[in-house]
Parts: sequence; structure tokens; C-alpha cells
Amino acid sequence: MKLQAFQTSTITESIVAFSQFVRSHGLNIGIEETELALQAANRQLLQTRKNFKHALKIIFCTNPEERQLYERLFSLYWDTNPIDLKEEKNKTILQGVVERKTNRSLVMMGHGNADKETTEAKNISGSNEAERLQKTDFSKIQEIDARLLDEIAAKLFKEMALRLRRRMKETRRQGPINLRRTIRRSISYGGEPMELYRRSQKKKKHRLIVLLDVSGSMDKYSFYLLRFVVALREYFRQAEAFVFSTSLIRISKALQHNYLDAVLSAISQNADNWSGGTKIGDCLRQFNEQYGKRMLNGLPFVIILSDGLDTGTPEILGKELNKIKQRSKKVIWLNPLKAMKGYEPTARGMSEAMPSIDEFYSAHNLQSLLHLENILNDA
Amino acid sequence: MQTAKDPLEIVQALDGYNYVADEEFATALFLLLNLRKPLLLEGPPGVGKTEIALVISQLLNTKLIRLQCYEGLDINSSVYEWNYQKQLLGIKLQEGSSLSVAEKEKHIFGTEYLLQRPLLQSISETEQSPVLLIDELDRSDEEFEAFLLELLSAFQISIPEIGTIKAKHKPYVVLTSNRSRELSDALKRRCLYYWIDYPDLNKEMAIVRKRLPGIEQDLLKQVVEFVQELRKRKLNKTPGVSETMDWAESLMALGYREINSRAFEQTLGAVLKSADDIQQVKQEGIRAFTN
Repeated sequence: MKLQAFQTSTITESIVAFSQFVRSHGLNIGIEETELALQAANRQLLQTRKNFKHALKIIFCTNPEERQLYERLFSLYWDTNPIDLKEEKNKTILQGVVERKTNRSLVMMGHGNADKETTEAKNISGSNEAERLQKTDFSKIQEIDARLLDEIAAKLFKEMALRLRRRMKETRRQGPINLRRTIRRSISYGGEPMELYRRSQKKKKHRLIVLLDVSGSMDKYSFYLLRFVVALREYFRQAEAFVFSTSLIRISKALQHNYLDAVLSAISQNADNWSGGTKIGDCLRQFNEQYGKRMLNGLPFVIILSDGLDTGTPEILGKELNKIKQRSKKVIWLNPLKAMKGYEPTARGMSEAMPSIDEFYSAHNLQSLLHLENILNDA
Repeated sequence: MQTAKDPLEIVQALDGYNYVADEEFATALFLLLNLRKPLLLEGPPGVGKTEIALVISQLLNTKLIRLQCYEGLDINSSVYEWNYQKQLLGIKLQEGSSLSVAEKEKHIFGTEYLLQRPLLQSISETEQSPVLLIDELDRSDEEFEAFLLELLSAFQISIPEIGTIKAKHKPYVVLTSNRSRELSDALKRRCLYYWIDYPDLNKEMAIVRKRLPGIEQDLLKQVVEFVQELRKRKLNKTPGVSETMDWAESLMALGYREINSRAFEQTLGAVLKSADDIQQVKQEGIRAFTN
């Protein structure tokens, strides 16, 4: 436990300890911010509590959520009275500290209890095996193959992300003349622009928003799809990711830090998301209301990974998806069921959604996911 | 204003320029002026983020240099560009001279061939510190954001042909963002941060009265209450303070002294900027907003 105000003796010490205190509760601040805080205190801002509080808030916080957290931390630090402390002690766990639980045992496909058997599975791996697995439907994967497939998936997704990034660098022979380089090189010819250098059009990077269905019916697929989402993040640097079933959860931050395990366990702990049906329409509405305004800017790509088995009102799904379509470059729907023989998107949710979908693909095995590379490359 | 002793003095100074600020925001400005750190302002559109940079420059009686960000903004249009036509002429003129290639090169990459764009301009002021406004930073690419880091922490810009140019007078930097994407941590760490939200009823009334001194108290109260009520609805485009002012102004121009159903039908377009929103609000009717 870090020090609190009453445990320090000088104001400098208090401020330094305060910055350590807020850091331990998840605010991203370093020595520089502490120094600024001291400088601010030195500029007459200590006179009233209000000014002091505001000043440190402006220096320490970098988004609205942190500003809320700060309010609580401030009074917790400066107002804690040692007499009350015994009661307080258990209440000081605040959000902001990422729980890095690695209990993947709860997670999809019974990964946790596959440990014993996988040692045997390793022995039969080979190139044929890898190829077979790539074509196997995720839902039909045996437990013993699961880990192997996991490895292959990680490798292939990584390669895909790399290929996509590389392709951006290709240059073109046509395009406007790069005057800067041309002039620079022409000096040695006495100012005669003998060689023309051209400027290739830089490829515009689109933003990506992924919505992943983690409801019961998608159970078998969710794990691999999430892996896929992580790989896409490598290519689209501005990617936002959400998971949904009966409600919507934003996981972009967690993916950014590669806390895949934490994400998986957080999802699986949220019992709501596993039992019960999928309310796709309601979740999309929640997305539109909460994030739509700031994320659906500049025509991003929207990828929805879901089987479309909606237990909510299908009309809402159609309406909300149409709203998304209007503000995005492309809506891509990946449906694991599409590969099934005789599948038609006639489930009520799906048929409502169809008019708003630009691309409709299957996502039942690794190959189908890798196929998406071609579509994204046009981006 | 540079000599303001505490935030309260800044509140009063801003008041003189028709800008209503609370003490917390004034503290942010106080730190901007005193610690010389860039100030990042985030918040919904239409709450006066851009406006404050203009007001500060008036208060300090200094130049405002503005850079509007957009997708694809690059160094050539934000920092500097060589004057190519002049360079070509320069080379031609030197043709007969006996200068060596290196000397020629040095000449045509001199400062008189350099076109200054806003960022370079902001650090090459010779008289006094200007105010640099980098507007809607969230619209620019990440590459540009990374480029800003050098400017924001060291107040210097490196040009390969010339070298590093360091600011004689550090500019006061104000950055704004609508949070359409999250800015990088690296950038945020170099800035002070303040979130401007929609004002509450009293503050918004004060703001509108400042701008429209002729408005009648009843109409003012009705308009502001109405807009505050609108913000609670789920609209495609939530009206900002500037919409409130536009609306009040149009009502006054049409000679209305209160919002009745005729005025409501006629002028709703001044405050709501989307057909769906207008339809939704009209369906609810004027009664739902006034009690």
C-alpha cells in the first residue's frame, strides 16, 4: 500500500506520494508529471484546495474516464483519516488496475483440460496434418487438435498481417512529379531535371471496427475469431473491437496490450454472455448510441462476426445495421454457418440484415478467414 | 494575463472578452500560460474549444496561428515546403557563375527559398510568443501526430537541408480534438488535458446572454432549457452551444418573444441539423420540452 497524505510530513513529500498513489491506481503518470505538479504548486496554486485539485487533475488525467477516477482518488488520498482507515482498507480497490488473471481454463472449447492429451497430438503433426486442420470446421475440431490449430492459426494470422502491411509499400511508376527530389538531383546536372522522380499516391488507411458475437451458439468459433481480430489489429492500426451477446463490451484497450487471456476470462466470467440468447439488434443499437458518433467517422470498415441467430426483434437489427452502413465504407459480415450445405440467410435476423451487408462470407475454418485478406487488401 | 496571479483573475479577464469559463478551466489556462506546456482540449463539437485559442491570443495581444487538421495532412502543408519555382530560377541564374556544386546547393536551400507553413511559422516569431492552435487533431493521421511530438516537447523542428530550428519565443499551444479516435499516449503525455463538456443551465444562459445582450430573459431561459432538454434525447447530432445561439438569434430575428408551436415548427432547423432528429422531435411535440 502506498502512503497516504497523513503519513507524510512536508507538502513536497505529500505531492510526490500522491503521484505515486494515483499511479498505483492506474493513471499513467511519470516523473515528468510529478515535477509539473510541484511546479504548479509553486505557482500560487496551493492557496485553495479547489485550485490545487483542478491543477493536478489537468496534469495527471488524459481522458474523461481518468478524470472521474481522479475525483475518487483525490479524496481517498487527501481526506483519509487514520482513524477511519481500518474500515476503509478493504474498499480501496479501484478500477484501473488491469487484472492479469491467466485462468484460461474457463475459456472456450474446453482448452483448459486439453493439456494432458495434447502431448500425444504433437506427435502426429506434419504438413498434411496442418493442411487438413486449416480446412476443418472449427466446431468439428477435436480437443487434441485444438492446440495445434491454435499454433497454426497464430502463425498464419501473423503472416497475413505482415503481407497486408508490406503491400502498402509498393510504389507506382505514374503519379505527380516529386519536385523536391527532382530538383535536389538536378543540381548535379546544372539544374537540368534529367531524371524525374515521382510521388506515388499514398494508400489511405481505413479504420476498422470489429464486432464479435460471443453468444452460446458461436461458442466453438469465438476463440479463433478473437485471434483473428488480434491479427487484424496489427494491420489496421486504428482498430476498435467489441464483443457482444446480450450486451456490448469494448475490448480494444485490452487487445492493445495483448491481454488476450484477460479478455477471454473476462468474457467467460460474464455469465450473461454465455447463457441466454443473442440480442444482436439491441447490441448494435447500444454500439450506435454509445460509440457510433465518434467511431463511425471517416468511413471505417465494419466487420461483424456472428451467426445471425438473433433472439431479439429482427427489425431492430435491420434498422441499426442500416445506420452503420450509412456511415461506413463497407460492412462485412462473416457467418460460420454460411459454409453449411444448403444454408440460406433466411433466419429472420439474417434476412433483415442482408440489405445492409456489402460482403457476406463464411468464417468456419482457417482458410475462409485467410480469404478475407483479399478483400481487405482492396481497402 | 501572463501576470495573472490566480485562476480567478483569468476568469475575469475572459469575461471581458465575452468568454464564460469556470474556475477549473481557468486553472488549465493558468497552467498553459505559466508552465508553457501545450494544452489538449477534448469535448463534443460546439462547446468553444476553438474559440478559446482566439480569445487567448486577443488577451495576450499576440498573433494566432491556426492549423486545421484533416486526413492526409502532411509535413509539406503543415511545416514547410521549398519554393520550387524560385529554386528552378535560382539554379538558372547561377548557371554562369563559378560557384561549386556544393555552394550552389547551399544557396538554393537557403531560408529565402523556404515557404513557412503554420507550424514552422509558430516557432520562428521574432517579437513575442504567438498562440498556436492545432484544430481537430483527431482527424489527422497517426504519422502526423508522431511528428508533432518533437515540436510539442522541445519546440523545435528539424529540416534536413538546413538543420534544427529552435523557437526563440515558445508558442502557447492549444490542441483540440473531438475524440473521434483516441490520441496516442505519447502525445497526451506531452500535454495538459482538459475535457470541456456541455455547460449546465446557468452557464449556458450566461454564455448566450454575453453574445446576445439584447435577448429577453424569458426567451433566453426558454431556449436554453429547451436545448438542455434536447441534449438528453438520443439524437444523431446533439446541439452544441453555438446551435443554441443560432437558434436564439433566429428567434429574435423573426420577432418571437417566446417559443410557441409556430416558432417551433419554423426554426427547429437552426438547432437540429439532421432530418431524422427534426422528425423525431416534431413527433414528440413542443409540449415534451416545455413544462
